[in-house]
Amino acid sequence: MSAVPSFDILVIGSGPAGQKAAIQGAKAGQRVAVIERDPGVGGACVYRGTIPSKTLRETALQLERLKRSAAVFECRLRQDAAVSVLMHRLDEVVKAHAAYMADQFARNGVFHFHGRARFLSDRLVEMLSVDGGKQRFTAETIVIATGSRPRIPPEIPIDHENILDSDSILSMVYLPRSLTVLGGGVVASEYASIFSLLGVEVTMIDRAERPVQFFDREIVGQFVQSFERQGGRYCGRQTVTQVRWDGVSQVVTTLADGRTIASDKLLVALGRQPNLEDLNLRAAGLSLTEKGTLDVNEYCQTAVPHIYAVGDVIGPPGLASCAMEQGRRAVCHALGLSVGSMPETIPLGVYTIPEMASVGLDEAAATKQHGAAMVGRARFDEVARGQISGIGDGLLKMVADSAGERVLGVQIVGEGATELIHLGQMALQNGAKIDAFVESIFNFPTLAEAYRVAALDLTGQRRKRAVQARRV
Amino acid sequence: MTVGSDHTAAAESTQQVERELIRRIESGAVDLPLLPQVASRVMALTNDPSADAARLSALIHQDQALAAHVLRIANSPAYMPRTPIVSLQHAVAMLGLTLLSEIAFTASLKTGAYQVPGHEADVKQLWRHALGSGAYAKEIARLRRHNVESAYLCGLLHAIGKPVVLKTVAELSKQFRTPLDRATVMTLLEGYHARVGTLIAEKWGLPKQVAEAIAYSACYEQAPTFRQEVMITCLADRLATYLLVPEVFDEHTVRDHPVFADLNLYPNDVDTLFAAQDRILAVVEAMAV
Repeated sequence: MSAVPSFDILVIGSGPAGQKAAIQGAKAGQRVAVIERDPGVGGACVYRGTIPSKTLRETALQLERLKRSAAVFECRLRQDAAVSVLMHRLDEVVKAHAAYMADQFARNGVFHFHGRARFLSDRLVEMLSVDGGKQRFTAETIVIATGSRPRIPPEIPIDHENILDSDSILSMVYLPRSLTVLGGGVVASEYASIFSLLGVEVTMIDRAERPVQFFDREIVGQFVQSFERQGGRYCGRQTVTQVRWDGVSQVVTTLADGRTIASDKLLVALGRQPNLEDLNLRAAGLSLTEKGTLDVNEYCQTAVPHIYAVGDVIGPPGLASCAMEQGRRAVCHALGLSVGSMPETIPLGVYTIPEMASVGLDEAAATKQHGAAMVGRARFDEVARGQISGIGDGLLKMVADSAGERVLGVQIVGEGATELIHLGQMALQNGAKIDAFVESIFNFPTLAEAYRVAALDLTGQRRKRAVQARRV
Repeated sequence: MTVGSDHTAAAESTQQVERELIRRIESGAVDLPLLPQVASRVMALTNDPSADAARLSALIHQDQALAAHVLRIANSPAYMPRTPIVSLQHAVAMLGLTLLSEIAFTASLKTGAYQVPGHEADVKQLWRHALGSGAYAKEIARLRRHNVESAYLCGLLHAIGKPVVLKTVAELSKQFRTPLDRATVMTLLEGYHARVGTLIAEKWGLPKQVAEAIAYSACYEQAPTFRQEVMITCLADRLATYLLVPEVFDEHTVRDHPVFADLNLYPNDVDTLFAAQDRILAVVEAMAV
């Protein structure tokens, strides 16, 4: 019998979290192996999630830009356009991304195995190959990064034909005339806004009063306004009692208040479920939380100290950027390297149309944490670039301490929000003062000027407060 | 005449049939036959005031030739769809009962074309295989969390060229007064159905994924696009053959095919597909009536 290969670090899963963990380990001179259940590197992010949905989103945005130029171009998307046509660049994008990541593994000497992993003990892992073959591995440190898949509520008859989840919706053949989206989270909001912009009549239904609950209320309000102006509809505070295919052409959704909503297709986006059931966690001495996730500390360390868990398997926020940072932190901690104390400055980006992004504390969190907060606002129609580009529905909120001097957080809704947010991130990481934005000169015309406008709004509030204080 | 010269004469006759078959394929002179009984039933149904689209859709689903014909006509310039109508559900939704009635009437003009005298058993087997492939394609697509709508159509229509080749070969056999044994007929079917199917797909403007499944399901690694759909069709074809003609190969041979690994189906996924046999068979029996 051949010897069991031994590694310093064994990563199970090669999505954003696993990939980052593996590369971090390899760069630190460790012998690293990755076991991935899919043939390619990258996980659901590349093949079923982030990359495909963003490719479709890019088409929607191109259409939006053409619409904005209505005075020059007469542009209208075919009502029942084939989805494959709208995602015509997907194959090359996926191939390029997968090739880049495979190359990165190879360059860094990371061993890559294709198969399903399961624990035999806390240090011994068995891999089942797709051809049924088995192989065992041991490792000093094991990182669980197996990701997640769409959660399928038992009461909803998902058939991947008319009632779809966020995996199968991307292989939908033609663009439906109408789409009901169940859920109000990131995935639901992203798809709802993409399809709405593509001309599909979209109805979002969720229990919550507003979508993307963990985001700043005002920012989300702006998103909903844009979504509804585009023709979409958000039905909040609703409970779905039944979803059924009528056997002909419509999916019928019945709400608790008796209303029914009929649509060509229905997307179920009610959260994601961690891929943990095949891992035989008990053999490793691990157990799941009530939510079916793994419990970890701030370093992503599980109850078994040399086993770490990162990405979707530990629960929200389920964003690739956070997952990557978790992968890095886990391995740094395992190797005794400096981890850094910066989790609160990980930016959150939601690729809705318009985009939403956040870093640091939002208005509600700052008020709760510091007793009070001062907020500077800049509407994109107040900056020249916003006017030029016709994207006046954007908003940047700069959250400062109650004195209006120190930056505590930034939230943005509008085109380019997920890029713009990084300026706020750097400000936070360097403890920047509000005045630094006033004193800085930005390129003109750019959307980054919104930072200066928001900072000026804050200094204006400070002055007003000082005047009021003198009067008193 | 010696036995050897008999064999030579038979081989020459077969070659004559094959040459003419190739000529017809290359000249593009092939029509898709329709089952007149189903066309009539569709006609009757659509003339019935109490009929609904669900019954019509179910009826059309029972016939691969009619299904393809509906798609062909629905996609023809006469109805000017803005983009290809790619599924029957789509056709029913987009066209409605009145238009489908018209399509069924057009289809009924082809009366009798699906009958191949002397080959009833083969036609039945082809039809059952098409149904089985369609049903299996749905199962595989679900397992892969892939949209099943296009998978079904790919499975159902991937061998649409076979009845056409069969009919053509039967005609040629009669024309040249050359009786062909079953093995020779089946060899011609296997050898030429993809080319005929491709011709049909092209002529009718079938959805790209269906055309790719017809052309490449036996060699999916060469499919330039829609690789997932083509691989699903390849596996569906194989599983349907094993289900309906088990003597062709044993279970080990079925499992020992790279398409399982290429679809990333692990042993337990494969077991799930094999466990679906009874359900698939029930679908085939119900729809083949």
